[in-house]
Amino acid sequence: MTQPILEVRDLKVSITEKPDIQIVKGIDLTIRPGEIHALMGPNGSGKSTLASTIAGSPTYKVDSGSILFRGEDVTAATADARARMGIFLSFQYPTPIPGVTMVNLMRESLKARRGAEVPAREFLAELRATLAKLKMSEDMARRYVNDGFSGGEKKRAEILQMGLLKPDLAILDETDSGLDVDALRTVSEGVNALRTSDMGVLIITHYERILNYIEPDFVHILVGGRIVTSGGFDLAKRVEHEGYDPILKELGIASAETPVAEGAAR
Amino acid sequence: MATSTAHYAEAAAVEAARGRGEPDWLINARAEAARAFAATSMPAPSLRPWKYTDVTALDIEAFAPDAAFAPRMTGTAPAGGFAGTLAAGLATHSEVVREYLGAVVQGTEGKFTAANAAQWREGVLVYAPRGKAFDAPVTVHVDGREGAIFPRILIVAEAASEVSIILRTSSTAAALLVAGVIEVVAQADSRVRLLVDTRWGAATQEFTTLRAKIGRGADVQVGTIALGGLIVKHTVEALMEGEGSTSRIRGVAVGDKEQHFDFVTLQELIGPKSTSEVEIKTALAGASRSIYYGLTRVETTALGASANQENRNLLLSPRAKADADPVLEILTNEVIRCGHGATVGPLDKDALFYLQSRGLDMRQSLTLLVTGFFQSVLSGLDAPGLVEELETALREKLATAELT
Repeated sequence: MTQPILEVRDLKVSITEKPDIQIVKGIDLTIRPGEIHALMGPNGSGKSTLASTIAGSPTYKVDSGSILFRGEDVTAATADARARMGIFLSFQYPTPIPGVTMVNLMRESLKARRGAEVPAREFLAELRATLAKLKMSEDMARRYVNDGFSGGEKKRAEILQMGLLKPDLAILDETDSGLDVDALRTVSEGVNALRTSDMGVLIITHYERILNYIEPDFVHILVGGRIVTSGGFDLAKRVEHEGYDPILKELGIASAETPVAEGAAR
Repeated sequence: MATSTAHYAEAAAVEAARGRGEPDWLINARAEAARAFAATSMPAPSLRPWKYTDVTALDIEAFAPDAAFAPRMTGTAPAGGFAGTLAAGLATHSEVVREYLGAVVQGTEGKFTAANAAQWREGVLVYAPRGKAFDAPVTVHVDGREGAIFPRILIVAEAASEVSIILRTSSTAAALLVAGVIEVVAQADSRVRLLVDTRWGAATQEFTTLRAKIGRGADVQVGTIALGGLIVKHTVEALMEGEGSTSRIRGVAVGDKEQHFDFVTLQELIGPKSTSEVEIKTALAGASRSIYYGLTRVETTALGASANQENRNLLLSPRAKADADPVLEILTNEVIRCGHGATVGPLDKDALFYLQSRGLDMRQSLTLLVTGFFQSVLSGLDAPGLVEELETALREKLATAELT
């Protein structure tokens, strides 16, 4: 069997500045090349915390457990080291960076990912090819990073960067939130156009609608910091029709509404 | 050998001026300035512009004037104009020099300006005659060594003329005191651009006053980029005398180690519909600090004026410090807009993580964020080649700056 891209083992995570608040309370997750996993769950269940922790956010602290990327323990690695290895996080709320153009950022990040200078001509050719795949205009690349972008533009800009950096693991954190149907379709088609057979994808979502465009191989339901059940695409369909409560009742869990502070999940 | 103190005495200043063959009116002005220097004490911290830069222990007279100092210049003036030393301009454009030298910044108004008026040598005169434009920027190099230097620059732009000046300063690692005066006379509908690229050595202390008198419809833009020096105090003043005059003062400083930057701005709006913008941004590493004191004064005559001042400071290390003190004095109700803003704070953590999640390490992320932060100032400077060079210098400085 091929080596997994990501292995999360009994991971427990709290907030760095509030170490007594544990959000992720023991998660195991294995993603192999070509697999798409969807992580669903009600607000405050710890989905975004898990996404940010895998990407190395200093906002969160790993209390115990480990994160392995292609077999290498990256639990203590910095966010930038993980990114250079091939972990990409598409942010739920991409940060505006006035004064820094998308082109400038993308050139620097591609250079970092490859560990070598990228000649201007080669960079432009790759940028144009990726823009074309995503049906995006070059104007976007000339603008300041996420500055004054609409919700849809922000998410498309994330996918553009993903396309250029060609990660081994793409984590899409609520990429569907704040998008109308057309924008959702564009972004989803973009992800599909950029996916490769060796890439692992983790889609974090509140609703299943993005999964109608990017069909997952596995669906996990996260409640109160734990994966309470896993299944195939049909599990997502069931959430769509019934909500979380009937599934939880079957599992003997009182209610989906056992959230940690909503703000903490960012 | 004479003591340093003797150089600053009236008799010495007058004798030196005679030796240079200066005209009587200038020798008299030198004498008056030397007397003012002797009679004036150092500015005290009780004066608001000097609150955070205490110079009471600084002994100017301990720094011997560098007799060999002379600015270097490149640039060609249009017909009838002049770009050269003040000493040469005294011979060819004596009326211009006599009319305007010391008319904007008086030799008697303070300790540093008095020292400058009494002691400056060579100097710089840039003169744009009525309706004429310089083809290319005039570049003035001020390269200091040790002791004291007194750069003196007079810029006269007659009606509807246009001139751009780039002042580049440097010095060795030796102790150097710089007391500079830059006077700008911008007559009706003229356009003056001045970019000051400050890259002094690590033991240079600079105190420079730049003041512009701006006539009807004239437009003066000053940019100051400070990377070098131990103490750099730039006082930049725009006197907006004419109707519809405009001024823009932009500044950037990157501090590290023990560097101390002090920007003082004055926007004095006198003419109706005059407009003035100030934007000063600093990024401070090590134990460096920046001080900003800005006064916007809108006079009763300045109907329909608009003014803004902004000061933003990024603290890159826990030991860095910034003080911002923007002040508005509005004496008329009929202003279009009059605002100010000041911030002091660390880098945005979310932005840092965002860049790190794209593979840039801490230092690269910080460098990109800081250059982005300065973009609003740098992109407005009218000197494309130089701006790129400055950005490179800025990145190089950030690459080794102390972050803890």
